[in-house]
Amino acid sequence: MATTQVAPSQNAKVEEKIQKVMELYADAPELGKVALKNGLEGLKQELAAAGGAQSAGRVGARQGKVSELTGVVPFAKGGAKRLRGLLQLMEGNFQGADLVGSVHDMRFVFLDNDTKLLFCTAYDGEWDAYIDDFATKIPNAMDILLCNCEGYPGIHSPLVKDWIAKNQISAEAWYVSSPNLTVPETRRLERVGKAVEEFLDKLE
Amino acid sequence: MSVQDTADGNPSTQAPALDLHELQATVLRQRPAPYFGTHVLLTVGERRAGRALLRRLTPYVDSAAGWRIAANAWLAVGISYTGLEALGVPKESLQSFPEAFCAGMAARARQLRDEGLNDPKNWDPPFGKGQVHIGLSAFSDSEDKRRRVLEMARQQVVGFSGVNVSHMQDFGAQPGDLNPLGYKDGIDQPAIEGSGSEPLPGQGRPIKAGEFILGYPGESGVPLAMPEPEILGKNGTYVGLRKYQTRVGAFNRFLRAHGRTQEEREMLAAKLVGRWRSGAPLTLAPDADDPALGKDPQRNNLFEYSNDPRGRQAPLGCHIRRMNPRDSALSRLTDVNIHRLIRRGTTYGPPYDENAISKEDDEVPRGAYFLFISAKAMTTIEFLQQEWINDGNFIGIGDERDPIIGLQEEGATFTIPAEPVRHRVHGIETFNVLRGGEYFFMPSLSALQWLGELGDER
Repeated sequence: MATTQVAPSQNAKVEEKIQKVMELYADAPELGKVALKNGLEGLKQELAAAGGAQSAGRVGARQGKVSELTGVVPFAKGGAKRLRGLLQLMEGNFQGADLVGSVHDMRFVFLDNDTKLLFCTAYDGEWDAYIDDFATKIPNAMDILLCNCEGYPGIHSPLVKDWIAKNQISAEAWYVSSPNLTVPETRRLERVGKAVEEFLDKLE
Repeated sequence: MSVQDTADGNPSTQAPALDLHELQATVLRQRPAPYFGTHVLLTVGERRAGRALLRRLTPYVDSAAGWRIAANAWLAVGISYTGLEALGVPKESLQSFPEAFCAGMAARARQLRDEGLNDPKNWDPPFGKGQVHIGLSAFSDSEDKRRRVLEMARQQVVGFSGVNVSHMQDFGAQPGDLNPLGYKDGIDQPAIEGSGSEPLPGQGRPIKAGEFILGYPGESGVPLAMPEPEILGKNGTYVGLRKYQTRVGAFNRFLRAHGRTQEEREMLAAKLVGRWRSGAPLTLAPDADDPALGKDPQRNNLFEYSNDPRGRQAPLGCHIRRMNPRDSALSRLTDVNIHRLIRRGTTYGPPYDENAISKEDDEVPRGAYFLFISAKAMTTIEFLQQEWINDGNFIGIGDERDPIIGLQEEGATFTIPAEPVRHRVHGIETFNVLRGGEYFFMPSLSALQWLGELGDER
C-alpha cells in the first residue's frame, strides 16, 4: 500500500477523531482522562485502521461474513419458566442449530426478574435468508422455543420476519476475530487440519 | 418442431387445482423451440392512457388454460411498482406489496450483491430509474408470428400520447437453440402441483403451487402474503427481469488459457456448467458429450447427485448444481424446493462464436434477458444471489462463486474435484455482466381487467 501518499489526509482525519474523543471525554472521571492521555498513541493507531462499520441487513451489524443478532423480548405469560426448564433439560445440546449450519453461537439471558429474554447470536450472512427454510424444515423447533416470547406470530406467519426485526437491537460495536471464517469454512478447516496431520503421520 | 412438442410435460388426466383460466399463459407455457419474441418496456405518463392500454391489450393475453397449445404468438404483461403508482392504484393496495418489490431491483442492489461491474450505476437505460412501468413480452415460434403480434401491439400503443415506449429488444433462438455461451439451456424447470402436467423424468416431485402463484398453499402449507384486494392479488405472481451482457471474448480466452486442446476446452466448459453444450448432464455422461442424451427431454434431466457426493463428475460449484442442488449434501439447513424459479431465458444478439476472443467481442451487444417467475421472486433471487450464486459456503467450497452468472472478484478460482487431487482453475472472470433489471407484478387476467377499469375516485 502507498501509505506515504494517503498519509496527510488520513492524519488529518485521525486528528479530527482524536479531537472529538477529547471533547467526549471532557466530563469523564479523572481516571478516564488520564488513561486517554496515556493511551493516546495506541488509540490513534486503532482509529487510523478503522475500516467502516458494516450492516447485516435490516438490523444488526456485520464484520466480514459474520453478523450479530441481539434481541430483547418480553416473555409471554409463563414463558420464562417454560423456556428455563426446557433449556436446562437440553443441557446445552442444540442439534437443531448444528443442522442450521450458519450459527456460530447463541446466548439466552433472562433479564429483569424473568420478564425479558436477552438473546444474542453470531451467524453467517443475512438472518432472513433462511427463515423460509426454517418454516418448512424445522417449524416445530422454532415454535417450541419462540412461543415463550410475547407476540410471537408463529414461524408460518408472514409477519414473523417483521416480529424478529422489531425485537432486534443493532449492536453499537461488533468485533469478530476471524471475519471471513463461516461455520462451514471452520468445519472444513477442522477436517483439513486433521487430514494433514494424518497424512504427516503416515510420512513419518 | 411444433410448440406442442416442446411443452414441458405430458398431458395428465388429473384435474388441475389451479384456476388456469386466470393465470397468464407464460407462467406455465415454456418458450417454444425455436423461439422468437420482443420485450417492450413502457412508461405511463398519464394514468388514464395507461389503463386504456391495459384494456386494449388484455384480450391478447392468453390464459394458461390452453397452455400446451399456442396457435399464435402470445403476450405476457407485467407491471412494476412505479407502474402501479402511475396507473393510480389505490394507496392501501400499493402498501400491500412486498418491500423489495416496492423498492425495485436497483434499490435492492446490496441484498442482490449487485456491486462492482453489476452495480446499477453501470446499467443501461431505462433500467433502474423507476421509468419502466409496464413490461410486455411477445413470444412465438416463428419470426412471422412475432412480427404480427408486435404489429398488433404497436397498433394498440400508437396514438396513446400518455404511454411511451422506453425500450424494445428483440430476442430469438440461436442456431441449435443455444444460449450466448453456446450451451443448450432452460432444461431444468420446477414441476408445479396442479398445473395439469405430469413432471418430466428428473423434475422431482411437483412443488406446491403457492410457491409460484399467489393465493395457493406453498411448501410450508400456508399461502404467501398477497397484495390487496384479492381480485388484484389472487392468481398473480412476480416476474424478475435481469439483462445480462455476455462477455464471450473473456469466456473463450478463459477456455483457451486453461485447455490446450479442443477436447480439454470442451471438458472445462462442461465442468463449469455441469452439462455439455448439448445439454447432456455430466452426471450421466461424465467422460464425453452425448448429444442424443442432451436432446432427449425424457433422459437429459433424470439424475441425482447421490453417486457423486464430492463432485468428481459434476463439480460442487458448477452452475446447474448450484441452481438446483437436488440431493447434494448442503452445509446449511436448506429446503431446495423453496428456492426454485420458473425460468424464461431469452437470448439476444449474435450467436456464440468460439473464435471471438478479443476484448471488443466482450462488448458486442449479446446476452440474455433472464426472466424468472415466482410468487416470491424477490426473496428467491436475493437468496440465490447471496447464497447459491455469489458464495460457496452452502456447499462447502468457501468463497467460490457461480462460474456462469456469478460476479467474480480479482483472482477468483473454480475448483474441479478429481482423483487423486482436485484441479483448481485460476483467474475466472465475470462472464455475464448485469446491465439492467426490474421487478414486475404479473397480474391474473381478472386483475388486468380490474387495473384497466380503475376509476379516479378514492
